[in-house]
Amino acid sequence: MVQEVVWGVSIVLMGTLAAVFAWVAIGANVALADYGPIIASAYRLRTWLFGLAIIVLIGTNYYTLGKLPYVSRMSAPTSAKAAQPVEAVAEQWSWSIKPDAFRVGETAEFHVASKDVNHGFALYDPDMRIVAQTQAMPGYINVLRYTFNEPGVYRVLCLEYCGVAHHEMTAEIKVSTH
Amino acid sequence: MTVQAVQSRSATSARAAVLAYIVVSGLVLLLMMLLGLTMRLAQAQWISIQPDFFYVIMTMHGAGMVGIAGLSGAAVMWYFVRRHVPVSTAVFVANLVFFLIGAVLILGSGFIGGFAAAWTFLFPLPAHSGELWSVNAAASYMVGLLFVGVGFLLLHLDIARGILSVYGGLGAALGVKQAFGLAPEDEGPPAAVTASTMVLIINILGILLGAAVLVVSLVNLYVPSFTFNALAAKNMIYFFGHVFINATIYMAVIAVYEILPVFTHRKWKTNRAFYFAWVLSTVMVLTVYPHHLLMDFAMPTWALIAGQIISWLSGLPVLLVTAFGALTNVYRSGIKWTVASGLVFVGVAGWAIGVIPAIADGTIEVNSFMHNTQWVPGHFHTYLLLGMVAMFFGFMTYLVPRTTGALLPFGFWLYLVGGSVFVLCFLAAGSVSVPRRYAVHLPEWLPYDRVASIGATLAVLGALILVLNFVIGLPSAMREEAEA
Ligand SMILES: [Cu+2]
Repeated sequence: MVQEVVWGVSIVLMGTLAAVFAWVAIGANVALADYGPIIASAYRLRTWLFGLAIIVLIGTNYYTLGKLPYVSRMSAPTSAKAAQPVEAVAEQWSWSIKPDAFRVGETAEFHVASKDVNHGFALYDPDMRIVAQTQAMPGYINVLRYTFNEPGVYRVLCLEYCGVAHHEMTAEIKVSTH
Repeated sequence: MTVQAVQSRSATSARAAVLAYIVVSGLVLLLMMLLGLTMRLAQAQWISIQPDFFYVIMTMHGAGMVGIAGLSGAAVMWYFVRRHVPVSTAVFVANLVFFLIGAVLILGSGFIGGFAAAWTFLFPLPAHSGELWSVNAAASYMVGLLFVGVGFLLLHLDIARGILSVYGGLGAALGVKQAFGLAPEDEGPPAAVTASTMVLIINILGILLGAAVLVVSLVNLYVPSFTFNALAAKNMIYFFGHVFINATIYMAVIAVYEILPVFTHRKWKTNRAFYFAWVLSTVMVLTVYPHHLLMDFAMPTWALIAGQIISWLSGLPVLLVTAFGALTNVYRSGIKWTVASGLVFVGVAGWAIGVIPAIADGTIEVNSFMHNTQWVPGHFHTYLLLGMVAMFFGFMTYLVPRTTGALLPFGFWLYLVGGSVFVLCFLAAGSVSVPRRYAVHLPEWLPYDRVASIGATLAVLGALILVLNFVIGLPSAMREEAEA
């Protein structure tokens, strides 16, 4: 899952950076008389790191920009099965989702709208992990496509703060095996 | 009076003004941290508060922290930039007065009027309270923000006037020629001038757009038939919010450039890479804000893709110039660690480390899973609590060192350890999809809230010691100043 990968990579990189700072801090009590050579080798290292960062940047952006969630900009669905249109309308503080029952393997195409203020449409799988989301914004319809691969009760939570009952703004979607 | 006497008297009043900024900033920071802790304790179900009050606290915490980060950053920037350019103490004090008027209006809107539309006041939420707050309460919040904005606008314009009088142009003060190798790098402006120039360029633009959306929202409150495009409002609010909060870091980082070298006895060398990074950041901080709108599918896709790429790029100058510069400056320098130098160093580390989860979230594919989860407060608390505020506390402790003796380093460690636990809980919770801005949490989310509450408690205690140290040392600092 994306979350686990991001958490793992972030923790490793954050830990590495923290370790570098700690290492420099601890070793700083002992003085090297000459600052010049330190600067020179630091700049060399910086150039290398800069190069490395650029490579990572290009690679990661190339890789991740290949799969954007923006349905309206996508070409026609690649799968033979058409996506099932779903009306998902937000209103302080409830969802109206029609239809809200699917079979495993079906692709739902949520047309997400709002009747009043900004809301967030986040689809949680039965393990309560986010699998897709978009914003619900007055005056716009955001299209979000998701294929249900696991049976169970999915939940929709509002992820944009929308007032006092924001945290209670949930809905259920049932996905059956057949 | 002789010229020297006038100058020294103006220096004394200038220093008194900086100290006043620090006292206000320190106390408000503590208060806002207590509001933050209250929210975590409520989510952990260790205390019980009503959701409507939770969201009032959330709104006050968000707006208050952004504002006070601005004020504390301004104290750092003004203290150092006035060594190089003429600035007006009266305008500096006026900003504090405007800030305090704004703060009273904002606090009143929340704690008296019940206003709770989050600091983001996303149109048209302020007018849709569900009977919880009145139109006047919402207006009080917005007028309060306008007051804060006007104060900062005056301050930036005055610094701009001072900078222009010495350097002739903003490009020269930013070091544009040095950045592109058109002038010798050792003839470039001092770091404090470069950073201040960048801050005033971006913040003047940010404040103007913020003021525009505030005025539009204000009119909508009283004339509901006057509406505005919700997506345009969101763009303006996030542009303004992103610029302003980033500017607080760019102001505070001047403390790093100025204070670390005092302890390492090594000059902070401004060179071509330094100027280039600041020029680049000036452009990128103005163009990166669409990464706040990655889940607004109605946005033009090119803007969102640009938002992702600039998010990745804008991390580079930060990491490679400031963080690398600080590491190089400290590396085997024989530095005697004090709480002041330690805090400033931690500030750079926290800033750099916080950039990592920030870049992750600025990636569209990741944002699909992390947007508006606790990953978001996780990353910005890393570079604000352990970055920007640590730099400010370092500056504060630099001006008034060790008065509480052994308690002071204890405060430093409490802040560092507690703060780290606290931000890691946010990030961990975000990675398991815990939403942000929820007054009530599901049972499976409570462990994160509870460990975070313990971390936050330690961090607040640490901050309390650091601020107390300053307040206790203040009278003698003023006396020394008068005698000097
Ligand atoms: Cu909501």
